[in-house]
Amino acid sequence: MHDDENTMERGIEPKKPLFFLLYTMRVKSIITKGVGYILIIFIILSLTFFVPRMMPAGPLSGLTSSENPVWEHYTAYLSGLMHGNLGWSTSKNAPVWDVLMRSMKWTLLLVGTSTVIYVLLGIFAGAVSAWKKGKKTDVGLLVLLISMASFPPFFLGMLFVIFLAWKLPIFPRFGAQTLFIAYSTPFDVVLDIVHHLVLPAATLTLTSIGVLYLITRNSMLNVVGEDYIQCARAKGLSEWYIMRRHALKNAMLPVITLVALTVGLVITGTIFVEKVFAYPGVGMLVSEAIEAHDYPLLQGAFLTIALAILAVNFVADVIYEHLDPRVKEE
Amino acid sequence: MSGVKTYKHNTPGLIGVGILMFLVITAIFAPYIAPYDPYTRYERTEHPGSEHLLGTNHVGQDILSELIYGARVSLFITLCASIAAACIGTLLGLVAGYFTRLDFFLMRIVDLFLTIPRLPLIMIIAALMRPSVWNLVVVFALFEWSITARLIRAEVLSLKRRPYVNAARMFGARDSHILWWHILPNVVPLVVVQLILVSRYILLAESGLSFLGLGDPRAKSWGMMLYDAFEYPTIYVTDLWKWWMLPPGLCIILTILSLTFIGYALEEQVNPRLRGSWRV
Repeated sequence: MHDDENTMERGIEPKKPLFFLLYTMRVKSIITKGVGYILIIFIILSLTFFVPRMMPAGPLSGLTSSENPVWEHYTAYLSGLMHGNLGWSTSKNAPVWDVLMRSMKWTLLLVGTSTVIYVLLGIFAGAVSAWKKGKKTDVGLLVLLISMASFPPFFLGMLFVIFLAWKLPIFPRFGAQTLFIAYSTPFDVVLDIVHHLVLPAATLTLTSIGVLYLITRNSMLNVVGEDYIQCARAKGLSEWYIMRRHALKNAMLPVITLVALTVGLVITGTIFVEKVFAYPGVGMLVSEAIEAHDYPLLQGAFLTIALAILAVNFVADVIYEHLDPRVKEE
Repeated sequence: MSGVKTYKHNTPGLIGVGILMFLVITAIFAPYIAPYDPYTRYERTEHPGSEHLLGTNHVGQDILSELIYGARVSLFITLCASIAAACIGTLLGLVAGYFTRLDFFLMRIVDLFLTIPRLPLIMIIAALMRPSVWNLVVVFALFEWSITARLIRAEVLSLKRRPYVNAARMFGARDSHILWWHILPNVVPLVVVQLILVSRYILLAESGLSFLGLGDPRAKSWGMMLYDAFEYPTIYVTDLWKWWMLPPGLCIILTILSLTFIGYALEEQVNPRLRGSWRV
């Protein structure tokens, strides 16, 4: 560990492959953080267990009695979770786990695509905006993306459905695939899926991009005034090159942590977007479960979403510490 | 730091205040402004006309009146929840920043609340509780105080080392006196800015929850109206969306935009150090 810190201080940090990066990370801090996250998961699990039971006239009151104490329920619940037993979905009439697994791939596809577009576009727009500070491009982007951020995701989705699926029938109106269709080639399958993905992904990206854009823009603004940027200009490097290699590289550090935090926004957004587009993912399950008062399914879907967000945060926490040697354990 | 020239003159801030005042006045005087009682039923899905300016919904309620009363519900939840969250956050921030012994413990709680996926958790709690306006207020207040607490704590940490605080202590002032009279007034501007930024989030979250059907059917907010409209089978095929779906959506957007403008304008006035650090 001592050597590791030494090399960093001397600034010798050659390009390492990712597995090496993971290997040299401070194992201890990962463990401490991991314990913290496990604690949080435990608290979330307990909350979702006890809140419905504390409700005086809630759906689960009357379930416990003196011969059927709440602690027995609790331990049974936890051990069930450990075995992947999330209960029985009353509305789908199937184990919650199976229902979740069927929907998972669509949500992963939607969240994955949106996140990639969102990160690339958000950082690019933020960088360009800061670079052109005060010019038309900057003001235009700022106004556009801040107004986009004030759209509720479901409302933007509904507008998209009206204008781009009904008025101008360019995109499909709902779902993730065309129903009852015989594909002729595998290429058609992909095309159909992408065709269905465009509007939900665009909705998610546009409504969550504002935050990342502003963070990148602020971070870049701190950098563009630096002397070394002037110096690079004096060397005659092209603006585009300076922006990418000199400015953006240094501005990325605060952006990276926040990227992970805002991926949580995208994941939460899927709940609304999937409802609007009837996209058959985990988010759709949440609204279906609420409509049908299917509490086991609701809980399962919630836990999936919560765990996904926590996992992203955890990875960001760990990676960030390695990217910025100034952040050390206190 | 913030690049747009107009922001320095605070024109957007003024526009924001104007829009918000308009909406708040509409909400307060809803019974006098609204042409009908929003829960009385007339003919169903009527088109806009002289009798019902924005038509009627699927059960025959006047949409314009719903919209005006909806301002009440949406703004009431937002206001109450954000004020309550700001109070909790300020209190804990003050205590954590001032009393070093409690700091570590309180900050771990703040970390916990910052890491928890808040909106999904609020969603599931709201789904398990009986839908009511007050339940929503309480849940939002309980989960949205953490960022405020962290900011206030940081400010208190720097304030309590200022000479004037030391002077007050030398004169024999008690901790409670120093906190109330010397430190609190200095964090109030920060609290106000934070309150406005958090209220945006609460309004968005509230309309989202209502859109999922978790709102109170006896007190319809704008999100609840969108829920009704979305659940109506032929909303897209007919022209209904024009007067049923657009108005509540636009109202939500307008409110959030005006809050954003006010928040950023205030932020620049109040705390130059925060300038440009537009927060989530």
